[in-house]
Amino acid sequence: MANYFNTLPLREQLNQLGVCEFMSNDEFADGVDALKGKKIVIVGCGAQGLNQGLNLRDSGLDVSYALRKEAIEEKRASWKNATDNNFNVGTYEELIPTADLVINLTPDKQHTSVINAVMPLMKQGATLSYSHGFNIVEEGMQVRKDITVIMVAPKSPGSEVRAEYLRGFGVPTLIAVHPENDPEGKGLDWAKAYCVGTGGHRAGVLRSSFVAEVKSDLMGEQTILCGLLQTGSILSFDKMIEKGIDPAYASKLVQYGVEVITEALKQGGVTGMMDRLSNPAKIKAFQVSEELKKIMRPLFQKHQDDIMSGEFSRVMMEDWANGDANLLKWRAETGETAFEKTPAGDMKIGEQEYFDNYTLMAAFIKSGVELAFETMVEAGIKPESAYYESLHETPLIANTIARKKLFEMNRVISDTAEYGCYLFDQACKPLLADFMKTVDTDLVGKNFNEGKDNAVDNQQLVEVNDAIRNHPVEEVGRVLRKAMTAMKAIKTA
Amino acid sequence: MAILNIQDLSVHYGLKTVIDNLSLTVKANEGWLIRGESGSGKTTLARAIAGLVKHLGCIEINFDKQSALPARTLFVENWYRFTNLEGDRNFYYQQRYNHQQKRDTVTVGRELELHGIENSLNTDSLNSLVTTFQYDKVLDEQLFEISSGEHKKLQLIKALWLSPQLLIIDQPYTGLDKDSRTHLNQLLNEYAAKGGTLIIISNDMELPECVHHLIELKNGKIVNSAYSVNEKFSISPFGGNTKGARSEAQKLLPSFLTNPPEYTSQELVYMKDIHVRYDEKYVLTDINWQVHAGERWLLQGHNGSGKSTLLSLITADHPQAYANDIRLFGVQRGGGESIWDIKKRTGLISPELHWYFDANATVSQSLASGFFDANGQYQRLRYAQKQQLEELLHFLNLYEVRDELLATQPLGKQRLALLGRTIIKNPQLLVLDEPCQGLDQQQTQYFNNLVDEISKNGVTIIYVGHFETQLPSCLTHKLVLEEGRVILRQTIGD
Repeated sequence: MANYFNTLPLREQLNQLGVCEFMSNDEFADGVDALKGKKIVIVGCGAQGLNQGLNLRDSGLDVSYALRKEAIEEKRASWKNATDNNFNVGTYEELIPTADLVINLTPDKQHTSVINAVMPLMKQGATLSYSHGFNIVEEGMQVRKDITVIMVAPKSPGSEVRAEYLRGFGVPTLIAVHPENDPEGKGLDWAKAYCVGTGGHRAGVLRSSFVAEVKSDLMGEQTILCGLLQTGSILSFDKMIEKGIDPAYASKLVQYGVEVITEALKQGGVTGMMDRLSNPAKIKAFQVSEELKKIMRPLFQKHQDDIMSGEFSRVMMEDWANGDANLLKWRAETGETAFEKTPAGDMKIGEQEYFDNYTLMAAFIKSGVELAFETMVEAGIKPESAYYESLHETPLIANTIARKKLFEMNRVISDTAEYGCYLFDQACKPLLADFMKTVDTDLVGKNFNEGKDNAVDNQQLVEVNDAIRNHPVEEVGRVLRKAMTAMKAIKTA
Repeated sequence: MAILNIQDLSVHYGLKTVIDNLSLTVKANEGWLIRGESGSGKTTLARAIAGLVKHLGCIEINFDKQSALPARTLFVENWYRFTNLEGDRNFYYQQRYNHQQKRDTVTVGRELELHGIENSLNTDSLNSLVTTFQYDKVLDEQLFEISSGEHKKLQLIKALWLSPQLLIIDQPYTGLDKDSRTHLNQLLNEYAAKGGTLIIISNDMELPECVHHLIELKNGKIVNSAYSVNEKFSISPFGGNTKGARSEAQKLLPSFLTNPPEYTSQELVYMKDIHVRYDEKYVLTDINWQVHAGERWLLQGHNGSGKSTLLSLITADHPQAYANDIRLFGVQRGGGESIWDIKKRTGLISPELHWYFDANATVSQSLASGFFDANGQYQRLRYAQKQQLEELLHFLNLYEVRDELLATQPLGKQRLALLGRTIIKNPQLLVLDEPCQGLDQQQTQYFNNLVDEISKNGVTIIYVGHFETQLPSCLTHKLVLEEGRVILRQTIGD
């Protein structure tokens, strides 16, 4: 199989990368009608599989689960998940031939073998859905021409997809139709109906393409979302230890700091995050982030280039073929870092203290979000897509670090994201070695304002505020966040 | 010696004075009751003593170094908050019914074990507490799977096992059935006999004998106090005078609620041979039940008898409904209806719904969310809906606080707001699952009068209440559950 993106002429590459439309509410007025009475078979019953299925059934749709024979015979967790909730469960042979819509919710790595097993069993004119485009775009999976291929990708863990649905809301979702497989022209209607069935239409839907989704998703997760959070956390912790800060305090500051700081990012963008710092700290963080951007830009560009050319997926798939040798080795190494092995202390750290004593992380996040966004947009990805895959997702990932540090983050994200995260981390640490020598405890570990008189130059502050507020990621972010919160909580009643 | 000495205590929330220059002395081994209407400052006073709120004035606590009890103050909150294994509190009220292999919280037994390790407690004394509360059978369950009454017992077991020198319990009787209340009082007396000092916040008068002192709060001040040797206080039980409550209920019902609901079917609920089980454990067995338009059912049963699970089948919150023979509003479950089709015909209030309700919703948004069956408001209101919302806010005396966060309101007001949420769309069926849990007699009376008033338009009601609680007088039928089976079904008044 050849990399699909690389088979396209440049014009078509740019065309597909540029699919990006924030859909308005009235596009979903038909509800789940397109899928009413249709037979939906979900392949895989992990967190996404089970929770999406529960939502679709509660929306009045006919859902069953196809599992591998061994999973059924050995009563594995996926079989228990499905049968405990009274779903009909069967083998591929039993269920796939009856399906109008087959939803593939297995891990990336299994896609090729799952699709190869499922495709010959699918009936003429059926529809196949993915929640990630890797198999189609990077592996170049060729799907039978009579089959419609769509994507519905809720931008949250499976448990959130269920929780928000039952609260009467949903999670932001990305939908797409594969242009090579839309023989009847029904793809978009089916994707919209599926999206309504999971509640996504209430929270904001972005129409994208398989290509745009993959190329932006890979970039985001490797650089700002996972890679830089890992590098920044480890370097910050090591710096505090070097400078004699109490290890238990350092561990706690790093573990919970990213969550607290990115909560401000979630609500008010980079501007909102930076506004939580005192004026002198904000100016310093701005200067540091400019320096970080200069140092890291070539690395961000290399990641984007390797993603665009298919080099990243080629190397990763070699590791798949090699039994995940590198992935497992790097995972073990991460587990051995001092940060990972030092338990967080039980001292109380106030919410504002996380900003005041961890100014360095705000600078890391600002530089990473802006770089990822700028690099994606330069590569032809639309700003809205780039926003989702950089700023929007950062707090969701930061939340996993607060739970159980980097181990938890790497457990929760996909193996693909994890692999890319390690690649970034390994390249980024040496790149930042000289910079880190200049960092002292005022940036990480102690209050930045300690012993300073809090004075700033008016003109300088105006310039810095201006630069922060008018960055393109802030401009697009303001519009998208407004659209999403308007849906989430209408505070005018 | 005084274990607790409060001098000129004041607590302010923003511009509001909640405790107003209050002084109080409690001697070691005394038993005290704090009562007062909703919002009078009871809980805030307790939280101040426990060091949980910022205050002005002096609070001095002197522990007895000779005592065998730990030198500690423990405040048992009215509401119980737990986290999952990842430190998250992002639960939703239907979570009990959604079964997943991944275990999210610890088991009840493990929770107790951890509590014991943390406080170096002796396991023998735990066993007798567990036996007294008949708590053995829930030890293997996950925290989020147990009922609200069972959560209350867990809190009380933890507190009594620890037996600190100063124990403050906010609404200890909430959600407990009659036997459990008797057991609790017996255990509180034993705690006092060991030398403990007890402060109870409650408007109930079925108190343990160890309580001899009483204070009543109003607007953050002590307005009444009493002492008794033989459990008979010289002042009347709180809320005995319900005249005020009646006149409130006589306020004119908003006109949209006087219209009869539009029934789509005369048969609202049809259940045949219902079974619900988790692995090998049956929660409901052989349930047959029908509810018809205009009937008003009382559903009763002990803690953990399956009441809430049965209701979850009716409110479309339980996935196992798809494996059972159930018709709701004349439509077979699993026949292609969505849960939102069912929910729009139903109004639900329950302790769990309240626990997990959107903490960022204002009073007004909480009511309005009833239009959309959402947990908090997610959609824009149409003109007519705004009118209904406004009428209802006035009717429930919530208009003044409409823009305040629901979570900051006293419990009684929160419950009223959630009742408003259930009736705002004038549904066919009201499911009121222990709606008065945690409310005092006067509030309960007021709430039940409202239910009676609303019922006049012919709405169908399922009301869950304990055997001994006050009930609305409009109820027509009764169903009693025991260990997941129906043991009694009758028409009320026969």
